[in-house]
Amino acid sequence: MHIVDGALSNPVVIGGAVAAVGGIAMGLRSLPLERIPAAGVLSASFFVASLIHVPIGPSSVHLILNGLAGLILGWAAFPALFVGLLLQAVFFGFGGLTVLGVNAVNIALPAVLAGLMFRPLVARGSPLQGAIWGGIGGGAAIALTTLAVAVSLMLSGDEFILAAKLVFFSHIPVMVIEALLSGAAIFLARRVKPELFADTKGSLA
Amino acid sequence: MIRSCVLILALLAPLPALAHNVISAVFPSGSDIEGEVGFSNGDMAPDLLIEVFDQAGGKLGETSTDADGFFLFTPSEPVTHIFRGDLGAGHVAEVIMDAAEVAQIMGQSPTAATPAGAGTAAIPAAPAADLSGHARAELATMIRNELRPLRQELTAFKNKSDFQSVLGGIGYIFGLFGLGFYIAARRKIGSGA
Repeated sequence: MHIVDGALSNPVVIGGAVAAVGGIAMGLRSLPLERIPAAGVLSASFFVASLIHVPIGPSSVHLILNGLAGLILGWAAFPALFVGLLLQAVFFGFGGLTVLGVNAVNIALPAVLAGLMFRPLVARGSPLQGAIWGGIGGGAAIALTTLAVAVSLMLSGDEFILAAKLVFFSHIPVMVIEALLSGAAIFLARRVKPELFADTKGSLA
Repeated sequence: MIRSCVLILALLAPLPALAHNVISAVFPSGSDIEGEVGFSNGDMAPDLLIEVFDQAGGKLGETSTDADGFFLFTPSEPVTHIFRGDLGAGHVAEVIMDAAEVAQIMGQSPTAATPAGAGTAAIPAAPAADLSGHARAELATMIRNELRPLRQELTAFKNKSDFQSVLGGIGYIFGLFGLGFYIAARRKIGSGA
């Protein structure tokens, strides 16, 4: 999921960095004061999630948890995930510093999209209904991320269909697990802390 | 049914743990450059095309890894060698061997061969004077083979993310968001006052 240094062409790297700066600015503007702790916690869980390896068959995959961040934070997931990615690159060598922008866009933009699409649905109805939509949102975020990764690779010259297939199929198990996890997390949050999904539009930090 | 088929297909497809770091290393091996490419979880990259470039980006040649993820390349020019292998899905292995090291490999191979053949008392050959060239080559291969698992383990160890860095990272995140919270709160208080 993390693209490493040197895999992408320069225009893609620069474009990704510019888009990431835009996304972070947008995210910071929609991060009200009372949401900052939640963003920190989600950033930390994203940071740690990639260390949790789930063995599947002969191989193993790691969690990403970007969908959950997007569902709870909306646009504010962008800076939260960026911080997580930055520290992953520095501490574990996941991805790299030059491709940080592209990785941030690939992982955070799907999170934001999932948040924008599913957040109203997650906040509505019973906690169980919310959890189901949350699960769908969590899975969709991963699916979109795989597509974004494939697009980045395609823009650098890879064959899109091949790259997309490779990334997408290898992440089907992740999608399933993330969907279950996001659903469970949303269910819990809806039960014990429903105000997390209250609309906080407009209030500037 | 279809879903389980897709799942099985996804699991059976030759996708060696895409969610891991790529590790790669090169080291001198007699008159060749030996290298390895794999993933940080210990899976190696078999049958992978490795392209070799010089510093300017000109292609010097190519080779491919064997079933254990090792490759051999015989340098012909004493320039910096850059080894590149594309593992797909955004995973690229790139290792660099300096010109000095390549030159050493190339310079070493003829000198290693001549004292054995001509029997001249070169200084490095003195302690092993009773070894024939063949035995020495055999010994070198043996030592390399013995060291290989060690080297692999060391690379894997270097790529292991330990508990301290996890805790450190979490600490950084909370610190950063705390700082953001502080700035935001100050601004709010400032605008309220």
